[in-house]
Amino acid sequence: MSRLLWSLTSLHKMDRSVANPSVWDTQQLYKHHEQRTVAQTRPKYREGRRLKAVKVYTINLESRFLLVQGVPAIGVMTELVQLFALYGVIEEYRALDEYPAEQFTEVYLFQFKKLTSARVAKRHTDEKSFFGGQLHVCYAPEYETVEETRQKLQDRRRYVNRASQNTAKQHNLQLEENTVSSCTKTQTSAAPEIQKGSEKARMENVNRDDMGFSVLPLAPEDDVSYRLHGFEQPLQLQWTTDTTLPTEDKMGSLHNAIPPVTEKETKQSASCKKERDFIKRQKNLSPSIRFMPRTTHLESRKRKLEGQAFFLNEAAETETLIGPKLPELPKVDMEDHSLNVTASLIRQTMSKVTSVPEIKPVQVKTPTVKPRRRI
Amino acid sequence: MAGKSHFSASDRFEYLQGLVTEFQDTDSEEAKEQVLANLANFAYDPSNMEALRLLQVTELFLDMLTEENENFVEFGIGGLCNLSMERESRDQILQSSGVPLVISCLSSNRDETVLSAITTLMNLTTAASRSETTDSAVVQCMLRFSLTQNPRLRNLASVFLEDYCTQQQVDRAREEMQGQSQSAVGIPLPKD
Repeated sequence: MSRLLWSLTSLHKMDRSVANPSVWDTQQLYKHHEQRTVAQTRPKYREGRRLKAVKVYTINLESRFLLVQGVPAIGVMTELVQLFALYGVIEEYRALDEYPAEQFTEVYLFQFKKLTSARVAKRHTDEKSFFGGQLHVCYAPEYETVEETRQKLQDRRRYVNRASQNTAKQHNLQLEENTVSSCTKTQTSAAPEIQKGSEKARMENVNRDDMGFSVLPLAPEDDVSYRLHGFEQPLQLQWTTDTTLPTEDKMGSLHNAIPPVTEKETKQSASCKKERDFIKRQKNLSPSIRFMPRTTHLESRKRKLEGQAFFLNEAAETETLIGPKLPELPKVDMEDHSLNVTASLIRQTMSKVTSVPEIKPVQVKTPTVKPRRRI
Repeated sequence: MAGKSHFSASDRFEYLQGLVTEFQDTDSEEAKEQVLANLANFAYDPSNMEALRLLQVTELFLDMLTEENENFVEFGIGGLCNLSMERESRDQILQSSGVPLVISCLSSNRDETVLSAITTLMNLTTAASRSETTDSAVVQCMLRFSLTQNPRLRNLASVFLEDYCTQQQVDRAREEMQGQSQSAVGIPLPKD
């Protein structure tokens, strides 16, 4: 009975679905994949830097999956992957052969590890030309699994509440100069929040900490101050905190430049102290940093890199080795077990390959007597 | 960390206030749509939420849910979906008794409206509001959604059923669907 009713309702919807794609139909093409026309009629005061369509973004529309349309079919997949890899770790990618594409173009699907990476990638690649074609990049949440959808929503909720907590914190800081007292306040207010969160979401996975969302990414100035501070720290400490080299992100994006200060929020006492330090730092450094000329910045970076090299050499000196030793490649954590395994494999083979030619010429050279040079 | 925003809190507030004023003053449907979409997108950023709450934008969004214009409904529920992520805004929506209005959006013809409504309902579910947001009619509707071909709708409805409803609720809704007391929530009316 209900089944009949169900099929009836879906039937009368089918007729309309041709004109208006609704939530009921089965087609592969979704409305949110279409490129909307931009609004030309906005008054000056709410005209952004780029013309955009009238559209509302919600978390439902966002995804770690990106659909890339309009890729010229001239075998440039490698270049495309390289382009997108600039914005974050790609977990998976494939060509969507079944997806209806325009003539001489291909459609690709990318799955980023983090939603923030996908967001940055979309912003930087959509409507950009690529090997003579114009890319159209959109989110593809229909490729998510139930679990991924759930995780996405949880991460978003956690991020929003943490961010609003932080802004509340800031208000406190602005009101009272005494940072210590405000710190204890946030401590007490933060504790019940966490409890509530775990109560409410019985399925919450505590181990996964903000997969998709950065915890309030810092503005460029703050970031610089952090780096500068890092330089002032003892070198050893700096080396341990910055496992990935803090060299500049060429994209100017901050998605991976989050200091550990905000990451360890659960450790309240530690974070409290760090926060105080951070504020002090900001107070001390912000005026000088804001107007720091580029040459100074480059110099400090150079000095920092030299310092790192020095540190490496120092470590090497403790071993019984005579002569200069090249600094070892820093072990980069790829944030994924299988990636790490691959990286170490590559490293091993590379070291094998480079070690072989060193021996060979010696073996070859010894038996042959150098012929006398004719003048 | 205020460096994230390029504008001070007061600039922000004034700008948003300007938007709200334009929305209320203008007679142009197009301008209204644009401003509404602007406001809903601003609601995505947590740093705007306080200002939007002060400006009673939650009320504005809720008013949109009963409009004829489907764009108004879509943008309004989108804004609510963004706002309701935060606890204080959620409480504000609950106080304005927004749950029935959100539930009515489940019957929309548009994907985005329905999806936003489901997410908003999830956000609005608290210990106190649970009986309202997971009403038997809503659970039945989610059961139907979880069987559709649209993966986004199916996934979201599954999350709702698994995380926000008890097994008893789901079982009872299934029984009711077998019997005669079917609810029509989430079934759009045919267009003429």
